[in-house]
Amino acid sequence: MVTTAAYAPSFVSSRRAITVIRARRAVGRTLITIARSIAIFVPVFLLATFVTFTLRAVSGLSPARIQLGEEATPAAVHRIESTWGLNRPFLAQYWTWFDNVLHGNLGRSWSSGVPVSQLIGDGLTVSLSVVTLSLVIGVVFGFGFGTLAALRRTTWIDRSITAVLTVFSVMPPFVVGIVLVEVFAVGLRWFPSGGFVPFGAGAAPWLSHLLLPALALSFDTVAIVARQLRAGLIGAYQENYVTGALVRGLGPRRIFFRHVLRNGAGPALTVLGLQFPALIGGSVVTEWIFGLQGFGRFANDAAQAGDVPSVQGVLVVSIVLVVTFNLIVNVVLGKVTPAAQRGV
Amino acid sequence: MTTLSELEAPQRTPVSDAAPDQVVLAVRGVHIHDHVSDREIVHGISFELTPGKAVGIVGESGSGKTLTCRAALGILPEHFAVSGGSIDIVGHDIAELSPAQWTELRGSTISAVFQDPASYLNPSIRVGAQIAEVIRVKTGATRRQARHRALELLAAVQLRNPALVYAQFTYELSGGMLQRVLIAAAIAADPTVVIADEATTALDVTVQAEILDLLADLQERTGLALLVVSHDLAVVAQLCDEVLVMREGQVVEQGTTAEVLHHPQHEYTRMLIAEHEQYGLERYLHSELSAEVGLNRAG
Amino acid sequence: MVRRVFALRTGKLAVGILVFIAMLAILGPILAPHDPLGSTATTLAGPSGKHWLGTDYLGRDVFSRLLAGSRASVVGSVEVALVALVVGVIPGLLSVYLGRVFEWVSLRLADTLIALPFLVFAVAVTALLGNGITQAMFVVGVLVSPLFFRVSRAATLSVARSQYVELALISGASVGWIVRRHAWVKVLPAIAVALAQTMGVGFIIVSSLTFLGIGVQPPAPTWGGLLASDLNYLHFQPYAPVAPAVVIMATVWGCNLLADAIRDVSGENGRALVNSRKARSNRLAAQPLLVESSR
Repeated sequence: MVTTAAYAPSFVSSRRAITVIRARRAVGRTLITIARSIAIFVPVFLLATFVTFTLRAVSGLSPARIQLGEEATPAAVHRIESTWGLNRPFLAQYWTWFDNVLHGNLGRSWSSGVPVSQLIGDGLTVSLSVVTLSLVIGVVFGFGFGTLAALRRTTWIDRSITAVLTVFSVMPPFVVGIVLVEVFAVGLRWFPSGGFVPFGAGAAPWLSHLLLPALALSFDTVAIVARQLRAGLIGAYQENYVTGALVRGLGPRRIFFRHVLRNGAGPALTVLGLQFPALIGGSVVTEWIFGLQGFGRFANDAAQAGDVPSVQGVLVVSIVLVVTFNLIVNVVLGKVTPAAQRGV
Repeated sequence: MTTLSELEAPQRTPVSDAAPDQVVLAVRGVHIHDHVSDREIVHGISFELTPGKAVGIVGESGSGKTLTCRAALGILPEHFAVSGGSIDIVGHDIAELSPAQWTELRGSTISAVFQDPASYLNPSIRVGAQIAEVIRVKTGATRRQARHRALELLAAVQLRNPALVYAQFTYELSGGMLQRVLIAAAIAADPTVVIADEATTALDVTVQAEILDLLADLQERTGLALLVVSHDLAVVAQLCDEVLVMREGQVVEQGTTAEVLHHPQHEYTRMLIAEHEQYGLERYLHSELSAEVGLNRAG
Repeated sequence: MVRRVFALRTGKLAVGILVFIAMLAILGPILAPHDPLGSTATTLAGPSGKHWLGTDYLGRDVFSRLLAGSRASVVGSVEVALVALVVGVIPGLLSVYLGRVFEWVSLRLADTLIALPFLVFAVAVTALLGNGITQAMFVVGVLVSPLFFRVSRAATLSVARSQYVELALISGASVGWIVRRHAWVKVLPAIAVALAQTMGVGFIIVSSLTFLGIGVQPPAPTWGGLLASDLNYLHFQPYAPVAPAVVIMATVWGCNLLADAIRDVSGENGRALVNSRKARSNRLAAQPLLVESSR
């Protein structure tokens, strides 16, 4: 014990050193992750907005047609187009629009004249509630099924989970949606078949309106996350560090939670990030089925009405959403598996 | 070196669970079978380890020496099985061990270090935390005690800046440093037997010599029983009292190191020795080295 | 590789389903017993000998509409896969060999396309650029092409960075020769898997678009459109969505099964599969011998 005491002072200071080193590195790594994501985001954003903006020019649509109908005189069309600034050179228009987008101004809807950001903002509350709930369902059940299947590999449990996941993965959101409406709304009358109630009106009605659309959206996520996790965990179990942990005498539960899950969850988290665009896309269909006045429904209606500024706004917002979500996923990944995130 | 002895002396009680002449690892006529190719890979190998003793197995790759180690650790690859003979660890026949008993035994009685140390440590967890984890699980120490002990161990395996290494990930350390970390993790729970499977193979010669010194030192100070496996006769000769020479699953020569080196019976052993004489058996072992070489490379 | 896919039970099943669906697409419109567009007075009728799957809200024969609608969906998904293949694989292969500038640009393009929620984008583009399933599928094909880009790039990279290719380069082999000789072997299974997957994805997208009524003119029958019209009459015909839903799911399942079967027989997984089977049969064969010898 005497010898141990002799070492104590140096270790006390070194413990502080560890904390400092660790904190500095954690902040540094997160900053690098964010910087790298932004470096990818900028060209993506420029390119995507440019493509989005050219849509109007390519489509040849004009607000005049929406407001005046097909038989408008050329003079009237010209007058309306110039009030929208459509007679200016293309790049000048793009620049003005892009500058406005950066300031959060997405222009006005051709059909209603209401600012697009306001229209989207209204729908976004609904859609984000649905998408978030479906993500939660997807992660909880995806991780549950994936883990169970990996741990009970090649048993009947694994096979039946795989079978269920196969059914899940081949069911597009609109099929799931119809089945859910049929069984739980029309058949059992447990849940309303559509509509949205704000959270302010009470948690229970809010949730009961959200649950079916969120479930319809989540099937695909559950299947994808569970499959990736199963594969990731099985792969991680074959790694040498598991042998290492085994040889050091760690128990199976500890090896799973501390060593295997941590490394095996990487691919599942990555596909979760890639799944987000699909969720936003899927919301177009589910909101249509469940009569939700959300972001996806707005996108569909605007596109079918030829309301170009609204469509452009929808695309810009969805890109921002996707990129933000991926940023969060990347930061989480950087924390969970620091080694796997270095370059590669 | 002095740090090590001072450190280990009050805490280690190797004699209590294994008397000096007690056999801590007994391998008796072990055969190993591969079910994929339906062939026998190891055709009978026997040796005994007592505290403070070191046994070495030499042979080319594919001779079955690694499989023997893995059998003794209960981690044979899929489709491989011990098909004959028996292995005893401190008196327990491993064929009768339950998974829970294996977990109990590994780390605290038998442990191992391997080639490619980076892959045997979790890439997502700081190396120090992995050592502390073993201490906490195996000895029931508190978080604080475990961290303190892990730092001591990192110092004991002669890492220059234990506090810095503690907070690093595997990809931030050099091969030699990682092997030291792996050794620290292996001895963290004071095992009686440590198996070193090609533990120095991937390291360059200077670092290799340091790791061998470290193992010899540990063995001497703590009464560790060592099983050293290598394709390199020089490595085994430096550390071991007894040597087994394996070829194609067969033990072709077995005896004390001096006997085998000076009076080899089998042609294959003679060839191994001749190769070393030709290229200089003791060439690296006498070179003067400083510990900085490995550290500077990593920094 | 084709033979090995057929050796698997899942492979046979997948090919069987897909061939059946393809036959539907080719022969469906001819086989339809009624005019898929002809409305009758018997609306929302149940299944009968005359109308196997009943009639819809305009009295049109659902079975005929199902058969007639198969072509649009199948052709659409094949188009998605082929467009994605061409747009994705070629830059994917080239990005490894054509230098840093091309690599950077193509990677950013792939990132961009992935960041676009493709269903929203497909809806927007198709609705704005005029109704047409062909244009819609072309756009979707471009949007899902990053999958092929990544797959072919990853496989090519793993080949290009491997030591045997370095050796070939050192010994004077041309880039073209290496691509043909070494890269294809690794890249092809990966691409085949991606192709099967993309067909499934394409199928879901075509069905989603037609479900929303985008890309086709209203009276024309599609599987998605059938489901959409059923949705309004669930109270009267709760069984109606079953048939179109089942064919859609079966097709997607066939595509996924095929992808899995190809993955199972190629590369490392294939070897593991073969090994475990061999070990099992060896062990089974060894068992009686052991019993005998122990007596």
